[in-house]
Amino acid sequence: MYKKILTAINEHLNSEVTARYAMRLAKTIGAKFYTCFIAEKGMSTMSIGRAEEAMKRIFIDAEKMEIESESITETGDPARKIHEIVNHEGIDVVFASTRKEDVERRFYAGTTARRLSINLPCSVALVRVVHGGRIHPKDILVPLKARITNVEERAYFTAKIAHAFESNVLLFHAPEPISRFFHGEIHLTPLEWEKKLPKDISSFMEHLQRYRVIHTGKSVPGKIGKTIAIEAFSKRHDLIIMGASERSLFSRFLRGNPVEEVLRDTPCDLIILRPRHSNNSNKL
Amino acid sequence: MKIHNLTKEEVFRTLVTSENGLTEIEAQRRLHEFGFNEIKEVKKKSLLIRFLGQFTHFLAILLWLAAFMSFLSEYIHPGEGMLTLGLAIITVIFINAIFTFIQEYRAEKALEALKKLLPFNVKVIRDNREKEVSAREVVPGDIVLISEGDRIPADTRLIETSGLKVNNAPLTGESEPVLRSLDPFEGEFIESTNIAFAGTTVVSGSGRAVTFATGMRTEFGRIAHLTNAVETGLSPLQKEIIKATRLIAAIAAAIGIFFFLLGFVIERSFWNNFIFAIGVIVALVPEGMLPTVTLALAMGSQRMAKKKALIKTLTSVETLGSVTVICTDKTGTLTQNKMEVKEVWTLDNSEPEIKLLMQTAYLCNNAKFIDSQYKGDPTETAILKYAREAIGDVTAERISEIPFDPERKRMTTVHRIHDTGCTMHPPLSPLDKGGIKGGYHESCIMNHASLFAFTKGALESVLPLCSYVLIKEKKLPVDENMKEEITNAYHLLMDKGLRVLSFAYKEMKDTPPPIPPPRGGRVREGVSPDIESKMVFVGLIGLEDPPRPEVPEAIRKCNEAGIRIIMITGDASRTAVAIAKEIGLVKGNPIIIEGSEFNQLNDKELREKLSEEEIIFARMTPKHKMRVVSILKEEGEVVAVTGDGVNDAPALKKADIGIAMGITGTDVAKEASDIILLDDNFASIVNAVEEGRMVYENIKKFITYIFASNIPEAVPYLAYILLKIPLPLTIIQILAVDLGTDMLPALALGAEKPTPGVMRLPPRSFKERLLNLSLISRAYLFLGPIEAVACMFGFFWVLYGGGWIWGTMLPSNNILYMQATTACLTGIVVAQIANVFACRSFRESVFSIGFFSNRLIFVGIAFEIALQIFIVYHPWGNAIFATHPITAQMWLVLIPFAVILFFAEETRKLIVRRKIA
Repeated sequence: MYKKILTAINEHLNSEVTARYAMRLAKTIGAKFYTCFIAEKGMSTMSIGRAEEAMKRIFIDAEKMEIESESITETGDPARKIHEIVNHEGIDVVFASTRKEDVERRFYAGTTARRLSINLPCSVALVRVVHGGRIHPKDILVPLKARITNVEERAYFTAKIAHAFESNVLLFHAPEPISRFFHGEIHLTPLEWEKKLPKDISSFMEHLQRYRVIHTGKSVPGKIGKTIAIEAFSKRHDLIIMGASERSLFSRFLRGNPVEEVLRDTPCDLIILRPRHSNNSNKL
Repeated sequence: MKIHNLTKEEVFRTLVTSENGLTEIEAQRRLHEFGFNEIKEVKKKSLLIRFLGQFTHFLAILLWLAAFMSFLSEYIHPGEGMLTLGLAIITVIFINAIFTFIQEYRAEKALEALKKLLPFNVKVIRDNREKEVSAREVVPGDIVLISEGDRIPADTRLIETSGLKVNNAPLTGESEPVLRSLDPFEGEFIESTNIAFAGTTVVSGSGRAVTFATGMRTEFGRIAHLTNAVETGLSPLQKEIIKATRLIAAIAAAIGIFFFLLGFVIERSFWNNFIFAIGVIVALVPEGMLPTVTLALAMGSQRMAKKKALIKTLTSVETLGSVTVICTDKTGTLTQNKMEVKEVWTLDNSEPEIKLLMQTAYLCNNAKFIDSQYKGDPTETAILKYAREAIGDVTAERISEIPFDPERKRMTTVHRIHDTGCTMHPPLSPLDKGGIKGGYHESCIMNHASLFAFTKGALESVLPLCSYVLIKEKKLPVDENMKEEITNAYHLLMDKGLRVLSFAYKEMKDTPPPIPPPRGGRVREGVSPDIESKMVFVGLIGLEDPPRPEVPEAIRKCNEAGIRIIMITGDASRTAVAIAKEIGLVKGNPIIIEGSEFNQLNDKELREKLSEEEIIFARMTPKHKMRVVSILKEEGEVVAVTGDGVNDAPALKKADIGIAMGITGTDVAKEASDIILLDDNFASIVNAVEEGRMVYENIKKFITYIFASNIPEAVPYLAYILLKIPLPLTIIQILAVDLGTDMLPALALGAEKPTPGVMRLPPRSFKERLLNLSLISRAYLFLGPIEAVACMFGFFWVLYGGGWIWGTMLPSNNILYMQATTACLTGIVVAQIANVFACRSFRESVFSIGFFSNRLIFVGIAFEIALQIFIVYHPWGNAIFATHPITAQMWLVLIPFAVILFFAEETRKLIVRRKIA
């Protein structure tokens, strides 16, 4: 599915950590690995220097890992330039790190990460780096909602990241609690919740099984964002992989945005995947 | 792979930093990206929003609607008293809101206590220079300088240490300082020796470390997040009250609407129908229920405080009563935490060997005897006390120490002996003892050499280090038979419920130089690599932590009450099982899960294990508790858990009832808990559970009492609409009963003593409703109708006595009408006096439980009568409640109805008792 992986590097540490995730994925699936640095107008020499050093370090690491790689340095608007590179090179997935401003301003459009996520014609993995101590994620938490689009690609991405780091995967579903007017909230045991597991999640599990990924499932009713964060904190997960929000602006305003909540509170690194490969694309 | 697995160079590369630290510009950049290194509060609803929420729940909305309709009526038909009613209803809403808010409000101080544990200023290296910065400005990649007394500002990977010891108690609960090292560690991240965690304290030494996680991403932040974000959810009582109020409100609204429409069918005016609808709703909604429940819980919490259980959250009073599982610590809760040496064992139990064992126990010990007092860990002080009493003081210079840590399960000390053991214990000639030729005379070892290593710890940790044993004062090579004999003795002592430690020593030639630790192992400071090898096994000491005397009885009560008790202890499984058997916690062969196995189990497997009847968790640390509690809760259990450490806080929050230890508990644990045990005693939990069950039972009693009066409040309205008579009871008079005369007697019912056998019933099923059919039918179909007859009789007695003719409608300010409504109201009050006695029990005769056993009942009745006299005879009471004085004879006319109600209920109880018998 992914033949070419691009990662955007800049002067920040989190972009370098993001590049390492992309690099490991490229190694696992045998994809060509692209790194790019887009120097914005007015960028200081020191920042450019730092970004170039990071590019160099990543490139050396990629060579050591015997990954076919290519570095691209450009100047201009990062989102626009990356768009051009994606089109020109036929990139399948772009890894980009989120910045603090993405966490603070995501609800309002305009950040580079958001522009990349929305506008790029390929899949985008936005990586939020928060913990420097969990270098190879051993336990990956994958929150899933009831209706999942692009199941194949999501499962593929999760499976390959898990393969890359030899990780265990926990599929996590946080359904709305069931309540009735005269009974209030109805308590269901995990076994009873499992029986109510949505079809798409079962399908996701089947895909993981096909990729021979060790995984377990868990359903915990509650407020989605908060429940995911509590699970990640309590079980010390090393990485969270979840889908980008598909709620409209209006819906987010009314019902909130669990992805943003997790993005704000995550105790470990977080990858938000916006898949662009449709199901049955025969590229697997 | 994690940071603790990496070499120093790999750490620098991963975090893109160096020995010279970050540049100031890079630090600022990272600060901007990663944010401040601080504990943040999880966003929660503000107090104001929570308070406003009390005005918008279902019952409140219904009352708002009634108030609105009253104001509308006042606007359309002024002077009918509807303004007063509207205001009264709003007062009811406010009273309910304030009471419920106080009930739900809970000071969230746990986070503040955690915040206090983080430091303010730290030394870092930036731009290759030492610099002091605020702890909140530390960023990933920063090199932090740490020295004795410092608090670690963030999660850091050590790159340089000099005798660095850290107290990890806030994270792991282990009070012993742990020596830190530099080298890659292969074990679990949290147990890594090369990491200094945020919030922990440097006890001695110094070092440098690279920061890799800050703020909420640290292990400390993790505890803070869980403590703050985990919500217990609604208590069983809160859930029941919501269900009950919704049910009652729906019934009231349905009846109100039905008769409102019926009024049109029988051609009543809109105005009459309207008053009727409001009247029915106000009559059927138990306005006084929530404040009474709150006050009853408050009274229950006061009674619990007298039983050494300090209640922090009011609803916990009742939740305790529905607890199905108690997860409890052993040491200090089930036992007295008073360690005492009970048995000493050596291979041949000869006096010289026992003395040598005492010397080893004395020296390999961190407890102190200062100012005629033993100070230190209870186990250490018990051993020191025993050894000191056996052999007196031993003078020796401690050269170095490998501290105890839970992973190694042993400690070693190296001593230079100044005073000889032989001074106190004259050497025995091997020949005298018939010893083996050429054997070394071990009881006099301290005369021959001056440097010794002493080790103590768990047998599985110490015995593999031993190449020799002492038999008849001879050092002999250890063989498999001897090992088996030692192991059997070890098991025998543990099966007696003793905590068993084994002791060994070794003679050393000279002080060897410090050496680096092996990969994945622990630091061995100032000792040679073979210091803990080829040792001589000396013997075993068994310590007893006696169970609290009240515990077996408390456990028996729990067994009868259907409450499971799960012991979670750091002790070895054999010791735990022996104690558990001694106190009656287990009878057969319980499932035992040790810490290492626990980590291997997935949730499903653990769930299966937890479904077993008898289960003990041994060799556990507090961090495991939250997982046990979560799974039990998922299975629908109502869980109480005990805890005292900082890292117990999330489990205490997660449990339905978090119980912190008042004596040994940390502030964080106390703040995160619902109940604080003032005496750390398990028996106090069981007493509190009994109190909780009693409170629930009493809530049912006063709800029956309150609900019974709804019928005489509603029947006048039905009579009004169906019989075309003047309205026998005004709405404001209904409120006089619900929020006035009924309140104190209802509260007095909340103080009833428990029905005998309350702790012999299984825990309340979550399917059991507060408002069940039996309660509703007793209140609505039995007690209520008798009261309705009383009040209607009083109403018609006055009307007919005044010459009223059936069908005549009287104006609201007519004196005869006002006297009739007053008689109706008095009828309810008189009947409620008998009802309060009737509601004191469900089945037992009032005479069998003691007519005068609850004196508060009489206080409540006195208040009820006084208030009714005020309403009937005081001009203010007349003005507010539209009443008019009635004759004393009227009261006498009503009293027989009270007597009838009382004896009718006694007869019903008798029938029920006979049926059960």
